[in-house]
Amino acid sequence: MILQIPLIEQITPKAGQMFNLAILILAGVLVYVAYSLAKQGRTWTIRPMEALDAIQEGIGRAAEMGRPVLMFPGIGNLQNPQTMAGLTMLGEITERGVKVNVPVNTIPSATEIVTASESIVRDAYSRAGKPELYELGKYVKWFGTDQFVYAVGGAGYILAEKPAMVVFLGYFLADVLVTGEAGSRVGALQIGGTADQSAVSLMALCCDYILMGEEIYAVTAAITEDKYQIATIAGEDWIKALLLVLMVAGVLLTAAGLKSVISFMWW
Amino acid sequence: MSTMDSVSRFIRTRITRIVIVITLLSAVAGYFFSSPELNALNTELNLWNMNIITFTLFIGLITIYFSYSKSVSQRTTNWPFRLYALVLIAVWIVMGLYSGLYSDMYQTAFLSTKITLHIAILGQLIFFYLSAMYRTFRVKTLRTGILVIFALAMVVLNSPITLSNWSAADQISYWLLNNPGMGGARAVVLASGVGGMILAIRIFMGLEKSALRAAGG
Repeated sequence: MILQIPLIEQITPKAGQMFNLAILILAGVLVYVAYSLAKQGRTWTIRPMEALDAIQEGIGRAAEMGRPVLMFPGIGNLQNPQTMAGLTMLGEITERGVKVNVPVNTIPSATEIVTASESIVRDAYSRAGKPELYELGKYVKWFGTDQFVYAVGGAGYILAEKPAMVVFLGYFLADVLVTGEAGSRVGALQIGGTADQSAVSLMALCCDYILMGEEIYAVTAAITEDKYQIATIAGEDWIKALLLVLMVAGVLLTAAGLKSVISFMWW
Repeated sequence: MSTMDSVSRFIRTRITRIVIVITLLSAVAGYFFSSPELNALNTELNLWNMNIITFTLFIGLITIYFSYSKSVSQRTTNWPFRLYALVLIAVWIVMGLYSGLYSDMYQTAFLSTKITLHIAILGQLIFFYLSAMYRTFRVKTLRTGILVIFALAMVVLNSPITLSNWSAADQISYWLLNNPGMGGARAVVLASGVGGMILAIRIFMGLEKSALRAAGG
């Protein structure tokens, strides 16, 4: 039997938009429900994530070795959600590092990320109770906005400073291979996370621990240990479970000749 | 707290949150619904968005200028490189403004410096690939182990010697790419989409602090 799925010509620009809107509204409602439950005292635990544990371990390792930590938020700009996740991680790592006297340096790519990173690092020093240690340009380094200028600058910086841990979290492409290899050469503990499929495999080549896809968003909520942020991950899991049910039902019903789920998805 | 501090804090936290909520709601409404009013609002906000992005570029350059100038004046480590970068930024800006981005002079300078160096790094990537592949043999986790097995399978199956001696190799590599590979790739894309959506909702609810911290709030 040939499945009657819409042909490319039949797919209008608006096809499926109502389904997308329904999922967005439902996601908002579920996240809000999880958030409300958290406010009432309900707590969720996130499954152990090796990369998250490694980040905590890496800061301790850096303190023992007397070496800095380096964080790459990627080559994306502020409009990229992966970059936002990277910046959240930068703030959390910096705060944890400052508390144990470990300098956390970062190398952003886009110029607006330089300003955002300075702001986040300054804020982290204030939260850690050591605002006097913050200096403009001391922890945020910039080598250029181009992908490979960024990579080569980052690699040179790693070879010169020999950080104890390098964290890649954000949007990366082949540039991660250049910086990742430099990190491996100096024996740094390397943790990489991105939602880009091509870069995930490159990170697997040079990083000790990797975070795939949506894990980068989950880990930034988990590291804050904020029960409200963790509650939103529960809402995310509910949405994922619902999508999984829809997918399985869609496959079974379409195989049985019913097109209700497919029609709903093209609503 | 002084009045100036209070005003500054209000601008950096409340105003930022208001801007986030308005732009997010209008972007969602403009994407899902079609009406002349919504389209006009969306176009207007997009123009504002473009303006803000351009403005943040300058803010970034100003931050870099202050940071690098401080480094040069205090003669910190690698200060000559920072001075070089400052001079280059100024030269490129002046040259772009003077001759135009599409002039022969600007394009020739751009192609013969930046693009040439870019290609040189691209050419070196193969070295990094090989070096990284060698390093991967110290597989530490199950995930990296699975990735290495599949990567090696693809390398072996696509090598000319295998393809010329084993006719099924091509079909097996095609099947691996288009079945388990495609399934895994789609899982990553779908889950990333949901993760990104939840991140946007967290920002909308004011739970994700990085958006506010980036604004200095």
